[in-house]
Amino acid sequence: MKYTYYPGCSLEASGKEYDMSFREVAKGLDMELVEVEDWNCCGATAAYSVNDLLSHALTARNIALAEKEGHDMIAPCSECYHKQFKTNKAIHHNPDKKDKINKALDGTGLKVEGKINIKHPVDVFINDIGAEKITEKVTKKLEGLKVASYYGCVMTRPDGIFDSPEYPTAMDKIVKALGATPVDFREFKTKCCGGPVLITKEDAAYDLTAVLLGKAKEFDADIIITACPLCHMMLDAKQPDIELALKKKYGVPILYISQLMGLAMGIEPKKLGLDKNFVDTGKVVKMFQ
Amino acid sequence: MIIVEAVQQEIIKIKDTNKDFINEVIQAGGEGVQSCYQCGTCAGGCPTEYVMDYSPRKIMRMIQLGLKDKVLESTTIWLCASCNTCVTRCPRDVKIANVMAACKSLAIKEGYHAGMKEGPAFYNAMVDNMKSHGRLFEGEMMVKYFNRSGKGLKGLLEMAPLGYMMFKKGKIAIMPHNIKGLDQIKTIVANIEKMERGE
Repeated sequence: MKYTYYPGCSLEASGKEYDMSFREVAKGLDMELVEVEDWNCCGATAAYSVNDLLSHALTARNIALAEKEGHDMIAPCSECYHKQFKTNKAIHHNPDKKDKINKALDGTGLKVEGKINIKHPVDVFINDIGAEKITEKVTKKLEGLKVASYYGCVMTRPDGIFDSPEYPTAMDKIVKALGATPVDFREFKTKCCGGPVLITKEDAAYDLTAVLLGKAKEFDADIIITACPLCHMMLDAKQPDIELALKKKYGVPILYISQLMGLAMGIEPKKLGLDKNFVDTGKVVKMFQ
Repeated sequence: MIIVEAVQQEIIKIKDTNKDFINEVIQAGGEGVQSCYQCGTCAGGCPTEYVMDYSPRKIMRMIQLGLKDKVLESTTIWLCASCNTCVTRCPRDVKIANVMAACKSLAIKEGYHAGMKEGPAFYNAMVDNMKSHGRLFEGEMMVKYFNRSGKGLKGLLEMAPLGYMMFKKGKIAIMPHNIKGLDQIKTIVANIEKMERGE
């Protein structure tokens, strides 16, 4: 299967291991990725908070570039996915907004027509490829590993396009396909990680992430998996700071879903960027080496 | 025994309301705010409601009433995580997160920040950074953010240990990546400015 790939700014920086592992796993699952030529930042929450039309126009430039390739576009960062999905929805279903967007693109030589879909990797893994094919590609069953799947906010919200916005199960199905044991992460699956308020209210952001880490331990999970670089930063890179601020010890390894899939598919840990996570992933890696 | 508590009620004077405000919010992307019927589902599920000065439900009503200054001067708009829990559950299909973002954009335009200068400073730094490179160049963006938010060198130094670790793991770029289509970004920005002036 052929897709257009939009890595996004985070996957070139703090989420580098997500990009590395996603590309490896995609190759292993016989997916062909064509990177969007000369893509730009999706604008994230910033552009949307400064100017709504700017947010739509920036994402539309990427969509127009992807439409040239003609394949559905995968955006692994949940924020990039959400913003581009929203613009694409307007292009498909809101002719007034589509006109406005194309007016904003006037003079760039680009135009959006509404020819492609925007997809999240989790959607692609479970619906386009399927649990069965994933299991076929597993060379090291992750037996005995208890995994809490954390979906975060906007992978399935607000529209619930490929999974429930309140209690999604796609990641748990992938965990099962890898031979690991899904831990029921209950309502915490989609509870906000606090990342977006880290700048304005650090203590509240820490509290929200701490709830997730605490619940994962309470439910006896060995690791948490995520599919968003902001959730990952809060849970992984900020985990030591949160431990220090709240005087608690969590020590929960946080893997991207593609890193976990790669491990089960027998891909070399270094190629999956497992040395780039902040909380040591060595224990998990050793279990399956 | 019945205890009656005296509740201090605030009286809203019509002269303090701004009838156009709701339209400004809608124009800025906050479509649907007029449909809110005050059920409070948004406030009930909001993860950051406990640190806001007004709950999301109250903000919706305040917009309908035209309490422009109070809304744009509230901490609520800067504490919305845009997680869309409220949008998913709203029985009136109000896109509450979009309404909050629309309020942020009006606040930024008119210089309100509710004592949370970090919000506008961060968003402006990020958008400017994107306009100059097409993609984010985090190092430069953070320096500009700390400058604008008034956190200055102290804030930057507090971030330094995390920044150093990121750098060591190869997660921070040393040079910006300028996209080839920077002119296209400039054209888009100019087009939008023109459209907003009604040209």
